[in-house]
Amino acid sequence: MAETVNQIQTIQTPDEAVGAVNRTRRFKYFNFPFLIVAGLLALYGLAVVYSAVHGNEDYSFSRQAGGVVVGAVLMLVLFRVDYRQLSHFLVFFIIINVVLILMPHVPGIGVNTMGATSWVKIGPLPQLQPGEFAKVTVILLDAAVVARYGGRLDEPKEFLKSLGIMMIPFVCIMTQPDLGTGLVYIFIAGIALLVGGAKPKFILILLGVAAVGIIGLFTLDPILDNAMGHDVLLKEYQRARLLVFLDNSYDPEGDGYNLQQAQIAIGSGGLFGKGYMNATQSTLGYLPEAPTDFIFCVLAEELGFVGALGLLLLYTALLLICFHIAYNAADLFGTVIVMCVAGMWLFQILENIGMTCGLMPITGIPLPFVSFGSSFMVVNFILLGVVGSVWAHSTR
Amino acid sequence: MLFAIIAGIITLVVLALVALVVLRRRSESAASKLVSKQQVNAIDTVGVVAEEQSTGFGTKAAVQVPTETGVTGTPAEPLRGRFVAVGVFAAAVFGSLTAKLWSMQVMQQAEFARKAQQNLYTTVYKPAPRGQVYEFGGEALVKNRSAYTVLAEAEVANNREVVTRLSALLGIPSAVVRQRILNASSGAQNTRVVASDASLRNLAFIGEHADAFPGVSCENRTTRVYPYGTLAAHVLGYTGTVSEEELKNVPEGRDIQSGDIVGKNGIEASFDSTLSGDHGARTMLIDAGGNVLEVLSETAPTRGNDVYLTIKGAVQRVADETVAAYVMGGVCTATSVVCLDVRDGSVVAMANYPTYAPESFIGGISQDVWEEFNTEKSHYPLMNRAIAGAYPAASTFKAFTAMAGLTHHIIDHKSKTDCKGIWTGFGEAFPQACWELNGHGEQDVVLGIANSCDSFFYDVGKGFFDHADELGLTAMQDYIQEYGFGRQTGIDLYGEASGRIPTPEWKAEYFKDAPEESAWQGGDFTNMVIGQGYVLTTPLQIACGYAGIATGTVYKPHLLKEVRNSLGQVVVEHKPEVLYVPEMDEEHIKLVRKGLREVMTINDYDRFVSEGVKYQVAGKTGTAEVFGKQDYSLFACYAPYDDPKYVVACVCEEGPTTYTSSIPMSLAVLEAAMAYDDGTLEKTFEPTHWTTQRADPEKLKKEQEEQYSEESEYYDYYDYSSYGEDFSYAPEGRTD
Repeated sequence: MAETVNQIQTIQTPDEAVGAVNRTRRFKYFNFPFLIVAGLLALYGLAVVYSAVHGNEDYSFSRQAGGVVVGAVLMLVLFRVDYRQLSHFLVFFIIINVVLILMPHVPGIGVNTMGATSWVKIGPLPQLQPGEFAKVTVILLDAAVVARYGGRLDEPKEFLKSLGIMMIPFVCIMTQPDLGTGLVYIFIAGIALLVGGAKPKFILILLGVAAVGIIGLFTLDPILDNAMGHDVLLKEYQRARLLVFLDNSYDPEGDGYNLQQAQIAIGSGGLFGKGYMNATQSTLGYLPEAPTDFIFCVLAEELGFVGALGLLLLYTALLLICFHIAYNAADLFGTVIVMCVAGMWLFQILENIGMTCGLMPITGIPLPFVSFGSSFMVVNFILLGVVGSVWAHSTR
Repeated sequence: MLFAIIAGIITLVVLALVALVVLRRRSESAASKLVSKQQVNAIDTVGVVAEEQSTGFGTKAAVQVPTETGVTGTPAEPLRGRFVAVGVFAAAVFGSLTAKLWSMQVMQQAEFARKAQQNLYTTVYKPAPRGQVYEFGGEALVKNRSAYTVLAEAEVANNREVVTRLSALLGIPSAVVRQRILNASSGAQNTRVVASDASLRNLAFIGEHADAFPGVSCENRTTRVYPYGTLAAHVLGYTGTVSEEELKNVPEGRDIQSGDIVGKNGIEASFDSTLSGDHGARTMLIDAGGNVLEVLSETAPTRGNDVYLTIKGAVQRVADETVAAYVMGGVCTATSVVCLDVRDGSVVAMANYPTYAPESFIGGISQDVWEEFNTEKSHYPLMNRAIAGAYPAASTFKAFTAMAGLTHHIIDHKSKTDCKGIWTGFGEAFPQACWELNGHGEQDVVLGIANSCDSFFYDVGKGFFDHADELGLTAMQDYIQEYGFGRQTGIDLYGEASGRIPTPEWKAEYFKDAPEESAWQGGDFTNMVIGQGYVLTTPLQIACGYAGIATGTVYKPHLLKEVRNSLGQVVVEHKPEVLYVPEMDEEHIKLVRKGLREVMTINDYDRFVSEGVKYQVAGKTGTAEVFGKQDYSLFACYAPYDDPKYVVACVCEEGPTTYTSSIPMSLAVLEAAMAYDDGTLEKTFEPTHWTTQRADPEKLKKEQEEQYSEESEYYDYYDYSSYGEDFSYAPEGRTD
């Protein structure tokens, strides 16, 4: 106890010091740069979605706007919630993740569309994608796992144990199957391990194993397909997408059609675009899935390189703010949460924009704050709320 | 591209720097300002003792609680490097995306913009009706008929129900219906032809049940009709869908779209640009589903111009009937007859047999029929023998060689040859036979032509050889070419053969691999002088040549009378074109014409001329021997003798005797041409009378067989090996 007394004595003016640190913010829950960037992104996204769904009866703009409103309310509520309490609910997060992700398999509420059981329809509620909502709990789960190691995950056994827990949501989502969301989960886990202090050696080994695994998958797949007589590992369309990725001009009328049209949309936009609401590629139906996966093409076609760069700058601002919040979070749990959210967005931006311009293989990953989808929008706002909560409960 | 890469790298570096600077500044300001924070953190840890905590999943050990904090005092401080790693990754992502977008939207903008335009606008062409073809008197030989075409959009192929309904309605197997819809040869956005000649009943059904046939439409298009079947088939030619090769070599000023119908042969081909109209074009804004959103411009197709021919339908009908009757009667295997108006070169009739029905090419000819048309057995019915068949001129050549001899003073009206049957002008070792082995006795030029005495002409040929020092070795050939032999006449049809008049130069080239054969010898003259050896001519050339003999002028043969536009106004009128005016002395030509007239009288070929004919006919026969086949007979004639109007040339393949084949055939056509002018020719075009009074095939065949048995001995005489080897007697040689 003598030591602690000494420590206290070293502080000349304790009250002043404590006061300086714990000085009440003028607006405790309003990080204005953060809210402004998030708000601008949401509005930009809504504007692009409006143009993309305009005159298309399959999509409802009001539903998207409703998603933004619901998400904003949830976000503001979450600002006040003390995220720190959540770090103790690790087992709960495992259970809730499994339940959420496997929910579409429940007969009666599960909806099967386009070969994947990813949606649920409960009573009068709008059709929802639990896998999207699970992103929130996956982030909390992964953060909770690594936070327990206090930034030093040096033991191989513990590393593997953490990895094992983080893989549970991925395994669950692959039963739907939904590779796009599964890849997001894996990327979240990777960021959690990286930021959570896993030994760099482990992460490098993990990357190596993943690379070998992917190469092995593509080599083994045709052999297994031949041996079994049906698709075993990769589906036919996935192989085709990969071929298109490797050669952008592959089969422009068939498997390469989407990429071809997406590139035409982006490229024809030019420096300043064709003007808002003037995208011919999407309004005339040449661009498939324009409001959802290929929304970026609509933006790039209408607003050009300048508009696309504007979006990228907003994303950069959002990520920088997130990095700042993460760096100054009150605890490691908060740091990892925010970095996982930022990392997830980064991965989605890379994959979504990358696939539309041929830098990445085509996968169904939406563009944060822009792609049509009210579940997706709500989830993004919930994540904003979580980030805000971390900020609100940090002292700096 | 390089610029894009550099821009990308710069962006990447800038972003990385921004990230680093921001992080650095944050940490610095935090460090400088918050010394007290460190102290407060120390307060926070008052009384806190490191404890083992549960990891929450079964283990207790190896759990570490942060025991020290960094400079700024945040829990993330020790993980600074991890932030930098994520930051660099983020900078790399944004940098490469920016670079790629720059490259696509700025560097390659034009290319992508072009592709976007391509997506949007589609021009659909509607074929224009072709012009019609009329004969001299204004009767249409090729007409158009409207045909109801059932069209389907490409996506109908995937609609099983509609395909099945179409199949049941049109009576086409569903697989074929699907195949036709999938056939993208007419362009991705165009509708596809399912049935090109649907019945009105089916059309009405589709119209009434439009709901059951989504994407199916009907259109009124035109197709060719040949009211008189095979009449003048080789002149008219046929049409077909444009081939890929033709699409590559579209003539200037002609607009051909894939899937168009173009002329393939005959007048349809040579006047293709005249007959073809201008496409109707419709430029539309199209969405990805192929739906028309807006029609931006539309022009109606304009019909092509009509072509009026010099062919006189009724004469042509007689010619077609005659050639058919003689071949079908077994007199010969194939034949060709051509009739010219000597006064301007217009082709009055041009008939060949075997022939074909141009109709069989409508909607594409079947493979079987096409192959059948190209077999030796079928005697190549698609071939227009009148212009493309190259035959030895045989004795029909004697009129020209006689003129050559007279013009070059090799002979004159007093020159005589005593024909003994075997001519030994080049010595006893090299005998040449006259067709009359018993000999004609003393022959002058008129009798030589009338009797077709080979011996007389051998002397003419020998004369040219003997006078080679003064005249050169091509004097005879040069003269003969003044009648149009050895070169294309330039008739307005494609596929004309040029024939051949042998010269020493040609022979040297032809036998360049056998130098011992290549020297020009006296025998080459004596063979050529009777139209044998290496001489090749087309029936049209013979007709032109005889027109020259008859009138002194060779007009360019032509089929075009005039072109009229869709309003009926004459836009092009053919003007007679003088091809050659052969050098001829009035006295000389009179001798030759007299000889040609005496051919008819001495041999009593006048007996084949119909009773009541008031004009006189002059003509010349020929019999050509073709290796491995029965003889070909030829006849050229013109009438009236004293005021020539029409000339007819006829070749009968394997119809060895002139007076059972080529003479009656030629006279039938010649008389028809004359009767047409008198108005006595029946103006029917239907070639139904396959046998005429003149040509009773049964009788003719019998007569011919008798003739052959009489001549068998004569054939034995022709043992080619009996001639001296160095004597270039062509194996094809025999004349009557």
